Amino acid sequence: MTASVRRALAYVLLVGLSVAVLVPFAWMVSSSLKLDAEVFSVPVRWIPVEFHWSNFVTIWERVPLLTYLRNSVFLSVTITALQVLTGSFAAYGFAKVRFPGRDVLFLAYIGTIAVPWQAYMVPQYVIMEKAGLVNTHLSLILLQAFSAFGVFLMRQYYLTIPDELSEAARLDGLSEYGIWARIILPLSKPALASLALLTFVNTWNDYMGPFIYLTDNKLWTIQLGLRSFVGLYDAEYAMIMTGSVLSVLPILVIFLLGQKYFVRGIATSGLK
Amino acid sequence: MRRHLVTTLAGAAALALLTACGGSSPEPAADGPQTIKIALWNYATTPEFKAIIDGFQAANPEIKVEPVDILADDYAEKVTTMLAGGDTTDVLTMKNVIDYSRFGTRGQLLPLTDEAAKLDPAKYSGLKAYDLEGKYFALPYRQDFWVLYYNKTMLKEAGVPESKLQNLTWADYAALAKSLTKGDGANKQYGAYQHTWRSIVQATSAAQTGGNLLGGDYNFMKDQYAMTLGLQQSGVLLPWATASSQKVSYNTMFSTSKAALLPMGTWYAATLLADTKSGKTKVEWGVAPLPQLKADGKVTTFGSPTAFAVNKKSKHSEAAKKFVEWASSEAGATAVAKAGVTPSLQSQQILDTYFALPGVPNGDVAKKAFKPDNVVLEMPVSDKSSDVDQILTEQHELIMTGQKSLDDGLAEMSKRVKNEVG
Amino acid sequence: MSAPAQAPATRRRSRSRTWIGWSFILPNFLGFAALTLIPVIASLALSFLDWDSYSTPRWVGLDNFERMIHNDNFWTALRNTAYYAVGHVPLTLAAALGFAVLLNQKLKGVRFFRTALFFPYITSLVAVAVVWNMLLSPDLGPVNQFLRAIGIDNPPGWTTSTTWAMPAVIVASVWRDLGYYMILYLAGLQTIPAELYEAAEVDGATGWQRFRYITLPGLRPTTFFVLIMLTISSFKVFDLIQVMTEGGPGRATLVLSQVIYREGIVQGRFGYSSAVSMVLFVIVLTITIVQFRLQKRNET
Repeated sequence: MTASVRRALAYVLLVGLSVAVLVPFAWMVSSSLKLDAEVFSVPVRWIPVEFHWSNFVTIWERVPLLTYLRNSVFLSVTITALQVLTGSFAAYGFAKVRFPGRDVLFLAYIGTIAVPWQAYMVPQYVIMEKAGLVNTHLSLILLQAFSAFGVFLMRQYYLTIPDELSEAARLDGLSEYGIWARIILPLSKPALASLALLTFVNTWNDYMGPFIYLTDNKLWTIQLGLRSFVGLYDAEYAMIMTGSVLSVLPILVIFLLGQKYFVRGIATSGLK
Repeated sequence: MRRHLVTTLAGAAALALLTACGGSSPEPAADGPQTIKIALWNYATTPEFKAIIDGFQAANPEIKVEPVDILADDYAEKVTTMLAGGDTTDVLTMKNVIDYSRFGTRGQLLPLTDEAAKLDPAKYSGLKAYDLEGKYFALPYRQDFWVLYYNKTMLKEAGVPESKLQNLTWADYAALAKSLTKGDGANKQYGAYQHTWRSIVQATSAAQTGGNLLGGDYNFMKDQYAMTLGLQQSGVLLPWATASSQKVSYNTMFSTSKAALLPMGTWYAATLLADTKSGKTKVEWGVAPLPQLKADGKVTTFGSPTAFAVNKKSKHSEAAKKFVEWASSEAGATAVAKAGVTPSLQSQQILDTYFALPGVPNGDVAKKAFKPDNVVLEMPVSDKSSDVDQILTEQHELIMTGQKSLDDGLAEMSKRVKNEVG
Repeated sequence: MSAPAQAPATRRRSRSRTWIGWSFILPNFLGFAALTLIPVIASLALSFLDWDSYSTPRWVGLDNFERMIHNDNFWTALRNTAYYAVGHVPLTLAAALGFAVLLNQKLKGVRFFRTALFFPYITSLVAVAVVWNMLLSPDLGPVNQFLRAIGIDNPPGWTTSTTWAMPAVIVASVWRDLGYYMILYLAGLQTIPAELYEAAEVDGATGWQRFRYITLPGLRPTTFFVLIMLTISSFKVFDLIQVMTEGGPGRATLVLSQVIYREGIVQGRFGYSSAVSMVLFVIVLTITIVQFRLQKRNET
């Protein structure tokens, strides 16, 4: 009896919160279907008087959206793959192998997260320019694929995997690399999935990095394209929101696909 | 064996990286028909860039000009970073004078002192702003200054003749704005709209009272603030807090007839011309001189020039210099005026070109507005300018939102500038 | 594996372990060192120099730090950043943990709720700023209309009031980040063996007891990660404040990253800007080391 009351309460809470959380997104979608002049009406009109689906057609003609999307997909996929691969590999060294200097090195990793990008973007740019990599996708890949974030996240996760498992494998004659590949990796699917998702989202939504490094319009990402559209046609709110909605959709798909990996759901429900 | 595995892995990763993307663009060859690159912003919606480039290429067929389009909002940041990395983009557009002085004093620009000496300072409004201790590193091609835009229909409805706007004082402006305010709620029409920028109050009073924005004593702004706050209080202006938090666009306020009067820069005329032509707005608009302190017939306003400079690292500096000179020449100024923008070179001929454009208001009121007697530089150039600018902006916010009383806000402004920059 | 000759074998093993450890770290470290570590060290070194991004840097010793101590802007920003962190860190942590536990259950529609909660993080920052400012608009905003309707005559001016701007920013930021950290907690929850819960249920443990004695300890490494990332990100906060208030009104929401940004890339005083980053770096590193130590003590 109390269980069903509690369940009902949980639902009320969740529904209320989801509504609160989705309000800006709802505003985005509703604006994308309006005329420019209707976007900022007072009071707010949540459902457009007339649905202007044509916005979703026109935007492909106004902006080279396909090129931008392709670039964004390429960058996000490459960076995510490299980050997950090298990050989870390095994390094993930090979590499961004891050697002198390890903790200091780890602190250096975390230390760099603590410095805001605004502080070191100029030295970084100078290095890139010297290497002749400015205005290439490679510059962004190198910049973002080896971040400390992934190493840190995976290390924390590996720490929860009991050492007995790797000890047993070691006795069976598996090398450390074998342990990483056959024991640890399969066990850490949830963490790998969440790292992949978060890296993908961050790369996808990054604006300042592409802005500083990519000058050639053919190389631009979706965020850069949208921002430049906003800068050029700052009164075309409806079109801006149409672009924003389109830019969120790929992330939504990835999220729905990836969900089953980072949440298997505990068999016994705490709310029973 | 292990070693082998590691090297293979590392090698594979490196290879994957290098083959994954070959998007690097090689430097163009230095010989052959020359191509110069020019850093600019919002190429698609800033018509004078295309006008200048087309005109220059027609006059110099051996040089090709390639625009490097950069987002306007973060233009200065990108150019700063590019130059720090040793970028060789040939021509750099100087968006404002303060950024110019920074690039110039660092030695990142090629001196153009000889070229500047050829220009007549009496005709080039804003040329003096580029004087860095006797040296020039950029030549202006465009000069914006502030005027008063008005909605003809709303004026007619209220029975106010347009000629009344020719000699407006700020007191007249306030009274007129009050009489033009009507309606309520969603149908409210404001008598005037003053955008959230500090310059509309501060630079106006500095220009018209002779006050010094870097001086550290800001009592000269008091009257202008008192008038603005009064209008805001009586509902004639959209409250500053609302305008700021809702990110209200001045273009929307004026072009949808939400506000009858709008003090704004001459650049807005180009937007209105384009939007009227494309049918985006149906507002009937006119241009009058910025209101004055006294009705003595003289017009003092404020503004700022825009200029081209040559990157010191440019590999085609001769061609780049040619471009900069052409842009500020009579031919360049004509191209700029034809694009609906006010050029730096001001002669009767150029003004005539401007007024002959279809859609440009060209009655007596407009002619007076476009030929001010005195244009004061919006913000004096010094190494303190940006620090002072920041403080003035912050105090402006506090005064306009009513978080500080006018007297306290101004006193704190003076105190902060003296203590923190002084 | 067997050890007949003790000493050389241990040494050999420790050397080979060092080599193994490094071999794991190296692929990531190469990229990390070249493009992050070196620029970061360079930028921290700049705090003892005077550099305008172009001319040759000049050694100035502690001048930048001295200027900073006497600078009002720096102290204001430091205070505001601490204020923000104190509000943002615990609220986000509690919300993320709470919803992760709730949404790890088998409930109807749970997939929808999980997706919904992640949405604020992926919604465009422009839309976020517009909607929050609209909701909180002092005159016309629905929030204040509601407050007036329930009899509060002078509702706060939110982002246009020096007192309320920071709370408004904190609420918006918790709302935005909650889903992000929830994902990390959800991943962390998967490592807790289901048998533990089953055993506890057999023993008749209440929901709260299970949370207190199984879930929380099992999540400790995740919490450590979330806590450090949250602390760091709130000390570095930039984007959201930039679009919502730009540090205003006045300096009510001015934070350290904005000072770093304005002084460095905007004003071209890279030495001074680096000195401020150095302070930020030292603060965050100190907090991290303290948390690191506490975690180690908990483990043993």
